[in-house]
Amino acid sequence: MNARALARSPVMPAAADVEANVAVSVRNVDVVFGEGESAVTALSGVSVDIAAGSLVTMLGPSGCGKSTLLRAIADLVPVSAGEITVLGRSPEEARRERNFSFVFQDATLLPWRSALDNVRLPLEVGGGGAAHAEPRELLELVGLKGREKALPAELSGGMRQRVAIARALVSRPKILLMDEPFGALDEITRDKLNEELLRIWRETGTTIMFVTHSIPEAAFLGQQVLVLASHPGRVKELVTVDLPAQRRLAMRDTLDFVQITAHLRRLLEEC
Amino acid sequence: MADIAHRSAAPVQHGLFGLTDRFRDKLPAAFAVVGLIAAWQFVVWAFSVPTYMAPGPLDVLRSFRDDGWTLLSNFWPTLFEAMLGFVFGNLIAILLAVWFVHNRTAERAFYPIAVFMHTIPIIAVAPILVLIFGSGYLPKVIIAALICFFPTLVNMVRGLKAVTPATLDLMRVLSASKSEIFWKVRIQSSLPFLFAALKIASTTCVIGAIVAEWIGSNFGLGALIIEATYNFRSPLLYATVFVAALLAVVLFSIVSVAEARLIKWKASDVH
Ligand SMILES: Nc1ncnc2c1ncn2[C@@H]1O[C@H](COP(=O)(O)OP(=O)(O)OP(=O)(O)O)[C@@H](O)[C@H]1O
Ligand SMILES: [Mg+2]
Repeated sequence: MNARALARSPVMPAAADVEANVAVSVRNVDVVFGEGESAVTALSGVSVDIAAGSLVTMLGPSGCGKSTLLRAIADLVPVSAGEITVLGRSPEEARRERNFSFVFQDATLLPWRSALDNVRLPLEVGGGGAAHAEPRELLELVGLKGREKALPAELSGGMRQRVAIARALVSRPKILLMDEPFGALDEITRDKLNEELLRIWRETGTTIMFVTHSIPEAAFLGQQVLVLASHPGRVKELVTVDLPAQRRLAMRDTLDFVQITAHLRRLLEEC
Repeated sequence: MADIAHRSAAPVQHGLFGLTDRFRDKLPAAFAVVGLIAAWQFVVWAFSVPTYMAPGPLDVLRSFRDDGWTLLSNFWPTLFEAMLGFVFGNLIAILLAVWFVHNRTAERAFYPIAVFMHTIPIIAVAPILVLIFGSGYLPKVIIAALICFFPTLVNMVRGLKAVTPATLDLMRVLSASKSEIFWKVRIQSSLPFLFAALKIASTTCVIGAIVAEWIGSNFGLGALIIEATYNFRSPLLYATVFVAALLAVVLFSIVSVAEARLIKWKASDVH
């Protein structure tokens, strides 16, 4: 089991015949902030393919460029070299077509809008009313039925993050980019939301890229864990998590799981 | 959160008890006021202070009865000037702030001028405006408007810019246009700042109107103050000051009620 659990896939781009199933493709991407002497190389020569429908978690030391990679895919940060394609298009085109949604570390809800109106926001701006999910049903999906009218200030941190997830799902994105979405939550809430995220992932078939600082979270959620190294930010390894697709919280106490987290920890220490 | 819930729920749930509770809250203040007025009357009586120097509360009350008509006919012009000044001063400030936020060059060109104008004491400008615009309503309205203008401009610019980078990232991922960001985010997030300024303006516009009436005017509460002073009609003077204060309090309350109606979400991060 040990060897299988730690099976590795090559970091370099997949062959052309797999291309159709690739949701996000990152090729030799550099991201440099600033110019001249004060320039910071956040990412250097990053290449990775994210298979459509997969759930990939991202781990790495602080400042290694996890957020930068996610933001480059979301067209929030321009790449300095290399190429990113999202469903075969440029990030900008993908953004305009609402192919992806972004979930930030803090829920970034508009405080004057009720939970329901926050979920509706993506339908009101950017010409995004076309194909969409029913906001009320999404609030139900994330377990907030009955709290539609509540203002963000009246919700707990976990509830706010649920609203943010519902908002991200309302435009039926093919890809969900999540930057430490549960980082500010307590462990019990986080466990619960992790399970719910997996359920949503199974039900919707969305491709998910999920940044986290927590090794157990990365291993529990991810089919694959993308480990980044820092200075400059680069791919250390893409670890395939060989655990049953149906994840249960209790699974974290099994030997297989512990071996995977131990391996990830070792990788991180080398970074 | 707790205080939002409390504010809306308390009067409904407690019914009669809620009312008596609120009355009990106000009781110390009521006692203090009555006590101070009694003390005032006592001092005037005990030291036989001449009425022209400082009238007792009973003299002032008598003045309300005898000069009620004079007070009322001078109240309307001041109300009119203060309200018009309030509307125009704030309106121009809000529009300028919107322009500044959309046009950096305009902000750089005119903001320093606005700051400079603010440093000129309004009392010093008043005679100039009276010379230019005569002794009608116009100079009074302008002075009332000028006194409202600056705090609103500063706060509105601050409010329109008080949008977190994370919210802007969110709107960018949603491909929201500049005008969508303005109407859906900036306007709303500026409201607490705006109302902080409007509350100041609601009292200063009365000051502006009265100061303007001091200079070459034969109507309004300001003119009445001057007249009563020169004729040693101290009870009338006190009554006029009381009416002016009442006007400011009423305007302040109207703005406060509007604020409570429009801003239901917390505004704790506004100073
Ligand atoms: N807007 C920016 N301007 C300049 N430098 C930036 C900017 N954003 C990120 N950086 C730099 O890029 C590097 C990577 O930052 P990034 O936020 O992607 O790291 P991270 O892996 O997400 O870290 P953390 O785990 O702490 O969130 C850091 O050195 C950071 O200082
Ligand atoms: Mg980060």
